[in-house]
Amino acid sequence: MCGIAGLIYYDPEQYKSFGSTLLSLIQPLESRGPDSCGVALYHDCPTPSQVRLLLGSLQNSDAPWQQVRHWMEQSLCIANWQAIAQVQQVTLDLAHQNFDLSQFKQALHHQFPALHVVSAGQAMEIYKGIGSVEELAALYGLRDFSGTHGIGHTRMATESVVDTHHSHPFTSSYDLSLVHNGQVSNYYKLRFQLERMGAVFETQNDSEAIAHYIYYQLLQGKSLEEALHQLLADIDGTYTFLVATRDKVALVRDKYAAKPAVIYEQPGIVAIASEYRALLNLPQFDSTAKLREPGAGEVNIWSVIPTPQATYASPLSLLTP
Amino acid sequence: MTDFAVADLTTLTSTSSTPTPSDGSPVDCQPLDCNGLTTREINQALKAIAATGQASVTVLNPTGRHNLAVGLETSMLIRFEGSVGYYCGGLSDHANLDIQGNCGWSVGENLMSGQIIVRGDASANAAATARGGKICVLGNAGARAGISLKGATLIVLGNIGAGSAFMMQQGRMIVCGDAGANLADSIYEGEIFVGGAIASLGADAQVEPLTEADWQMLDRELGDWNVKAQDYAFKKVVCAKQLYNFKPRDFAQENAI
Repeated sequence: MCGIAGLIYYDPEQYKSFGSTLLSLIQPLESRGPDSCGVALYHDCPTPSQVRLLLGSLQNSDAPWQQVRHWMEQSLCIANWQAIAQVQQVTLDLAHQNFDLSQFKQALHHQFPALHVVSAGQAMEIYKGIGSVEELAALYGLRDFSGTHGIGHTRMATESVVDTHHSHPFTSSYDLSLVHNGQVSNYYKLRFQLERMGAVFETQNDSEAIAHYIYYQLLQGKSLEEALHQLLADIDGTYTFLVATRDKVALVRDKYAAKPAVIYEQPGIVAIASEYRALLNLPQFDSTAKLREPGAGEVNIWSVIPTPQATYASPLSLLTP
Repeated sequence: MTDFAVADLTTLTSTSSTPTPSDGSPVDCQPLDCNGLTTREINQALKAIAATGQASVTVLNPTGRHNLAVGLETSMLIRFEGSVGYYCGGLSDHANLDIQGNCGWSVGENLMSGQIIVRGDASANAAATARGGKICVLGNAGARAGISLKGATLIVLGNIGAGSAFMMQQGRMIVCGDAGANLADSIYEGEIFVGGAIASLGADAQVEPLTEADWQMLDRELGDWNVKAQDYAFKKVVCAKQLYNFKPRDFAQENAI
């Protein structure tokens, strides 16, 4: 059992309250998943030509961040470097250079085996860890996050260890995040196939395979919608999951409808949560609004309206191979 | 664990001496507000109120909480002003619930007798394994409605989701709307009436014609909700009983062809 939630704001007036609202949406779901929690948040105004990396350590001890910075500066233009509790938020300026995420991950792993990239993207930042939603929010100051959309998760581990690395959301590319409630039954076969196609798995968590699968399908030129319909045929098990990209949020429920979700859609806001009671925390929740549950094998996709800043040409393609 | 003494409930039941209306029907006692109470306290308060002989009680602010009015043995009318969470009214005998909102998974699970009315939608597993009584959902019900139903009646005025009536063993389901895929998969006994479209039937389920007695029963059951059975093209789904016994394959016969 886990809790998942998603939130999309269509009203720029509301962006400022995004962080606190998403956190209040997953907080009641702690009873479904008390061991760890996490969020993937999407900025309302990403800067063109910049990419933000969040770097974390697999070990609890202090990582040699000064060395890492020095090593990165040799080949990359770092616009900003900020330590936020246990992660380092690194903003790269890519106006005059190329950047390959998978090559960078490989080089980082080679140089500093205990370090990893928690998230990478123009709009997305992932914060996760063991403990309560309250602790996570306080640690990273997430209540002040101004954003357009995001997803969150409260975890009760069933398939792999309880640590920050194995908690949700998972990511497999720029601005692509996933939170999952359920189990993937054909995980080993799926992982074997995806690894043959070049995916590099970083954890033993079965949910990570879903993120890699979606990215792989997008790489094949499929739309998100096509990828998710294909997924229903290819991924076996019980799942209700949310996947977010720079401009979309999707909710997928397996053909057994084994895991719950409730959808609240009103002008200006879309909220999805594992349970109804979480939605009551939304500001201006309309108790008369008709709520909806996704049916078995249903794929729901919402588009996020891009802000004017976000419509600038991106220096990266999402699908940089 | 908090022990909730019945004595604490004097404030909740203090209006029990209020004069009854002229028609003699008992009045509602002071409503029970869930705010600030644990689930255990709410359920114990309901038991205590029932013990005073009240005919009905209104429960305020259920806020989608799980396990409300579970394991009760009272026919006192409990009216929930709002949506409830999982297992509402489960494991109850003589239940009499009126939910003025939606309900989460497994409403009335293992109900023994009584009636539960859900005025909104029900989530998955409505009336799961219910042995007796009646569960009426005036909106839609989600996946696996009436799963393993063991004798109760489940009435849904809207649609039901996929996998409904899975392994149903006894009882009756009446659905005015559509039924999702795999209806009545591996059903043993019982009957399901569907007024709308059936996405697909599960293993060993079959459609059979309605009798005159069936139509009269539908009229009676739906009449309570001002629904005319004749307005719907009801189909009756029962067990085909082809899986009751092991059937050996006759390979000799197959090879002969």
